[in-house]
Amino acid sequence: MSAACFHCGEAIPHGVALDACVNGEAHAVCCIGCQAAAQWIATLGLADYYRLRSTPAGRAGAAVDFSAWDRAQLQRLYVRHAGNGSAEVCVLVEGLRCAACAWLIDRALRDLPGVRAVEVNPGARRVRIEWMPANMALSEMLGRIARLGYTPHPCNAQALDALDQRESRTALKRLIVAGLGMMQAMMFAVTLYAGAFEGIDPATRDFFRWIGLIVTTPVVIYAAQPFFAGAARELRARTLGMDTTIVLAITLIYVASLYETLRGGGEVYFDSASMFVFLLLGGRYLEMRARRHAADVVDALARLQPALAQRRSAAGAPETVGVHELEAGDIVVVAVGVAVPADGILLDEACEVDESLLTGESAARTRRRGETLIAGSVVRAGPVEMRVAHVGADTVLSSIMRLIERAQTRRPRAALLGDRIAARFVAGVLALTVLTAVAWLCFDPSRAFAAALAVLVVSCPCAFALSVPVAHLRAASALARIGVLMPGTDVLEKLARVDRVVFDKTGTLTRDRLELVGIDVIGARGADACLRIAAALELGSAHPLATAIRAAAPAGATIPRAEMLQTIAGAGIAGCIDGQRYRIGRTEFALGRAAPAATDDDAVVLADAHGALARLHLRETLRDEAAGAIAVLRAQGCKVAMLSGDSQARAAAVAERLGIDDFRARAKPDDKLRALEAWRACGDTVAMVGDGVNDAPVLAGADVAIALGGGTQLAQASADLVLASDRLDTIATARTLALTTLRVLRANLYWAIAYNLSGIPLAAFGLVPPWLAAIGMSASSLFVVLNSLRIAPPQASSPRAADAVPAFAEVLPA
Amino acid sequence: MNIVLVLIPLSLVLLAAGVSAFFWGVNHAQFDDLDTPALMPLAEDPPAPAPDRDDASPK
Repeated sequence: MSAACFHCGEAIPHGVALDACVNGEAHAVCCIGCQAAAQWIATLGLADYYRLRSTPAGRAGAAVDFSAWDRAQLQRLYVRHAGNGSAEVCVLVEGLRCAACAWLIDRALRDLPGVRAVEVNPGARRVRIEWMPANMALSEMLGRIARLGYTPHPCNAQALDALDQRESRTALKRLIVAGLGMMQAMMFAVTLYAGAFEGIDPATRDFFRWIGLIVTTPVVIYAAQPFFAGAARELRARTLGMDTTIVLAITLIYVASLYETLRGGGEVYFDSASMFVFLLLGGRYLEMRARRHAADVVDALARLQPALAQRRSAAGAPETVGVHELEAGDIVVVAVGVAVPADGILLDEACEVDESLLTGESAARTRRRGETLIAGSVVRAGPVEMRVAHVGADTVLSSIMRLIERAQTRRPRAALLGDRIAARFVAGVLALTVLTAVAWLCFDPSRAFAAALAVLVVSCPCAFALSVPVAHLRAASALARIGVLMPGTDVLEKLARVDRVVFDKTGTLTRDRLELVGIDVIGARGADACLRIAAALELGSAHPLATAIRAAAPAGATIPRAEMLQTIAGAGIAGCIDGQRYRIGRTEFALGRAAPAATDDDAVVLADAHGALARLHLRETLRDEAAGAIAVLRAQGCKVAMLSGDSQARAAAVAERLGIDDFRARAKPDDKLRALEAWRACGDTVAMVGDGVNDAPVLAGADVAIALGGGTQLAQASADLVLASDRLDTIATARTLALTTLRVLRANLYWAIAYNLSGIPLAAFGLVPPWLAAIGMSASSLFVVLNSLRIAPPQASSPRAADAVPAFAEVLPA
Repeated sequence: MNIVLVLIPLSLVLLAAGVSAFFWGVNHAQFDDLDTPALMPLAEDPPAPAPDRDDASPK
């Protein structure tokens, strides 16, 4: 059938024959925007981009005018001027997906006169440009990025970026110091253990102890700082958390070893201290990296709200101003395809807007004069005029943002099983240590310190420290192999307990396109002829209905050429083919009369001047694997439910096809959140699966939030699990994996407890020699690691899921 | 065994050198982006500088 576009990789619609000439070869493209982008890339001599990239580019939009960005009032907010006449701006680039994109943008900008430095960060999708405003206009540079097929948005998140960068650099340094320190300390500890077996000269022993002290000191003083800071915070808040116990253990082990080194007696345990620090830091570093990738909520929202608006001045002429300059009462003109800058009242007769932001339903809605337009929704037919009612923090978009924040803070952060037990355990060990010391002080004060220290070391939380991160890393990489990403670490326990899975309808159970299921021929023409006419009328439209009709047109048939096409918002399309007038759209529009009261939402009527020709029945396309995934979840004992913002009829139709009895239609984000809370109040552990921006607050309110990889970034940012492979059937597999992980984790913890319970009493009575403690410690750690290797993904994973993984490789912890 | 007294402090000096080299790398953005720079040399193909006519004049 149709081939894929050379530039963006999307299927080329029927009847489009456009070519782009790259390196002397003609490649088929899907639209004029892509053609322009491809040819422009080629003329710049950057055709290598097509060879280097790992994911297709986003679809190129029409040319946009960026000249408003040269206004001083606007630049003041986004551009930072340096003393020597140069300026700096940070641009968020939509569609920047891989290293090849970064390369392309870098090449395209670097050659411009006046550009001094370009820094592209594909991870954060940001480009930092330093340039001389005297030689080059900002709009020119933005225009260049746009012509490559990306959408640039200047942003003022630079300060945040610098902070992030400093944080991750410091974390990396601490990790390396701890790692190298640990290796050295262990090496010298082996010498001391060997010395305990073979006999060692006290002077040599002391020398190795001093060396051990030298390599461990930076680990404790520099690398372990985050734990000390955390403990100080906990102390101020008067709670006993993990950080406090970690700090106590590190300090006691270190101070005791230091004391023994200075005194020249007993045993030293520098290796335990540095290993403890390294393992804990390693876990935190991996967690931080995964989180950073997932959590750019501010970016996603910043992109929804436009930075510019066309304000009609008192004289009547439109002028471009920054959105922050708008005030309630201003009259604003919004062009087609542009997002509404603020909440306002429509002044024109009618217009069609895409409110997928709020409702998640991609079908355009019609708004009439006097009705409200919401900031962030996109005008599909226009231009329209509106009177601004609310700006800034009063807009619906801002309230969604607040809803997300509230849901996230209210969500119970279930402490991890391992953390909980370990914290309690460490507290217990500390109590025991004190008890041992007190008891020995009563009987034989000279041995009190040695015995207390032995208790502390035998109970060295190595096995604990290892069991949780190793099991998690193993689970995370197993999940990644089936295409499920886990940005957080505390989700596995909850995922294993999930007994109700709630799906969003649009975009999650269904794909956001329609399919033609039937055609009732009313007039004299055949079904094929009707479809050809319909396809011709819909050729230029981007509406989901149009896409479905074009896709249904008989393959290989020639589509006649329609003239005088006229799109009437919210109603349909009229046009002329071979001198005959046709109309397609809602019944009342197509037939030019008042419609019967109850019309089927998804039926479209094709009519000519004499009357109806055909009735086209369309329905939403289900995801191929949706039915199977729901069946497997049911077999696992999960209840399945559906929440939808769509109409009752459409929701019921989809629920019936999938066999879901429990569904709610016409649910706004607030309603969905309430429904989730009701289920959770009944004692269910609820997993919510969604994809849209409007789902983000709902996702944040579920026990386990699952977002689709194809969904919006905002939804992914508030999710615990991201289905990178975009397949619903991986949910059940992930749940099974979580159950296995939890079983293994429990086995690890039981083992560690058993080992410690048998070791501690012996140590408390002063019966454990150092070599026995060393063997016990390594054996328990080894057992924990080997046991964790049992967590493995199921063998028969689909090839498609496996393919999806490399693109997300940067977030995989292992 | 006395050689140990030299070699072990020496290893510590090397360790310190390694750590400071790594710190230098982190501070100079060597670890900020591990994907893009790998592609840069693959396609680096700057146009050959045009031969300078004046310098090429006969002696």
